[in-house]
Amino acid sequence: MAPRWKWKGAEAKALAEPVSETVLELQSSFAQTVASGFLSSCNVLLSVEPEQADLLDRCCFGRPVVSVEKDKRWIQLSFEEAFFLFYKLKCVKISLHGCSLENEVDLWRSMSSFKPNFAISYKAYSHLRSKNWIVRSGLQYGVDFVVYRHHPSLVHSEYAVLVQSISGIDRLKVWSDIHCSVRLTGSVAKTLLVLYVNGIVKTENMNLPLCLEDYIVEEQTIRRWSPELSREDKTRT
Amino acid sequence: MEEKDSESEKEAGLLCNDDEEYQFGGSVPKFQFRVGSSKARWIAELGMAEVELKRGKLWTTTGIIRTGKTYCFIEEALYLSEIGELQLLGDEDDVVISLKDLYREIAEGKCGCCWEDYEVYRYLKGLGYILGRHGVPWTTKDVVNTTPSDEDESLCAGEFSQDKDSITKRLSDMQICDARPVFDVYLPNSHFKKSSPGEPSFVACFSGDSPPSKEEIEVLQKRVASPLMFCHIVEGRASFFSFNSIDLLVLP
Repeated sequence: MAPRWKWKGAEAKALAEPVSETVLELQSSFAQTVASGFLSSCNVLLSVEPEQADLLDRCCFGRPVVSVEKDKRWIQLSFEEAFFLFYKLKCVKISLHGCSLENEVDLWRSMSSFKPNFAISYKAYSHLRSKNWIVRSGLQYGVDFVVYRHHPSLVHSEYAVLVQSISGIDRLKVWSDIHCSVRLTGSVAKTLLVLYVNGIVKTENMNLPLCLEDYIVEEQTIRRWSPELSREDKTRT
Repeated sequence: MEEKDSESEKEAGLLCNDDEEYQFGGSVPKFQFRVGSSKARWIAELGMAEVELKRGKLWTTTGIIRTGKTYCFIEEALYLSEIGELQLLGDEDDVVISLKDLYREIAEGKCGCCWEDYEVYRYLKGLGYILGRHGVPWTTKDVVNTTPSDEDESLCAGEFSQDKDSITKRLSDMQICDARPVFDVYLPNSHFKKSSPGEPSFVACFSGDSPPSKEEIEVLQKRVASPLMFCHIVEGRASFFSFNSIDLLVLP
């Protein structure tokens, strides 16, 4: 499916401002003023300057918490987003119970204790982000993530992502799961993308972010074919 | 057997994009044996029928050719019998084999085609697609050796026994999900030639009660050059899914 741009000129704007460049801008801005947040059992609350809030929005990290406060903005980040900003982009500090979690291992373990299979979910998230796709929650479509090739204000998301792993719960294990997911994603003009995250974690990497290096991500799309619509073969003479 | 009525199909199309609804719309058409339909004789040991009289152009896309004779598999014979294009005669005599007997053969799955396979066969044939059993050449060049008919039968028997084995294995391995390629499917094509069919558009596969695992798909894709399409039939409703390994684009 071709990308569905939301307005005339959206594609040109996207080409002019690649996601990777905006992320670099974010990194350098946060390097000067490190933002700090704190961990809850399900997310990270980050306090930022208005300009930084704007950058986070342009890269699609988190959701703003609306309040009357003017000089500070509060952003709610998922674990995956927060860990990515902390570990990969190195632009936030996160604390728990008043203590700053300087060490990525502590943060990793805290998040893992709150969210089962955080390692797999994060591996999938960072895999997609590393290809410069914008990644958001896919809950409203019954999937884990939806990915956009640029900011959601410019384009509709193209893929609905399900994360599958041997170590996690088996998704799509019966035919009705396949029918359900494919039909749902098709009805919102997205392609179902399954990310298989597997690997044998080395003993020394257990419970550490280093285990991420032991995982491989494989991508597979699942599409339904309609025989009634495909009968014309334009390639044959 | 449910058939689509083109009138209600158009109407349904206006209301929704759901093509599955088409299967239940419309009336059941009445088929009649046309005067001078084709005739074939069932050969029990082969599990195939030898065509004795051909009528119509349908034989350009049905049946396999071995040393000048045309043979058809049970699904082909049954389909043509259902639509009144073929009279299938018994081994010993000229009594027409009833649909009931053919349905029973398919239900028992002993001739290399089980009911599930047949539903897909019938559905796609009805839409104009061309189907052949995967791994069975449409035609073979004449082989040297014994008398043509002996060679012929052993060729067919050989292919037949391969099919028979795979079905037996599948029936006995119900616990294990067994992904198997069943039909080579070609798009509707009035210029189709058995001597040079080209590559099929896809190979219709079945994986049984569960969807195919990633490993099963990989194994199958290594063996089969064409794209794979996995079929799932429930209560006469056929769905086709393709599982494709991709490498998601790296964006700028």
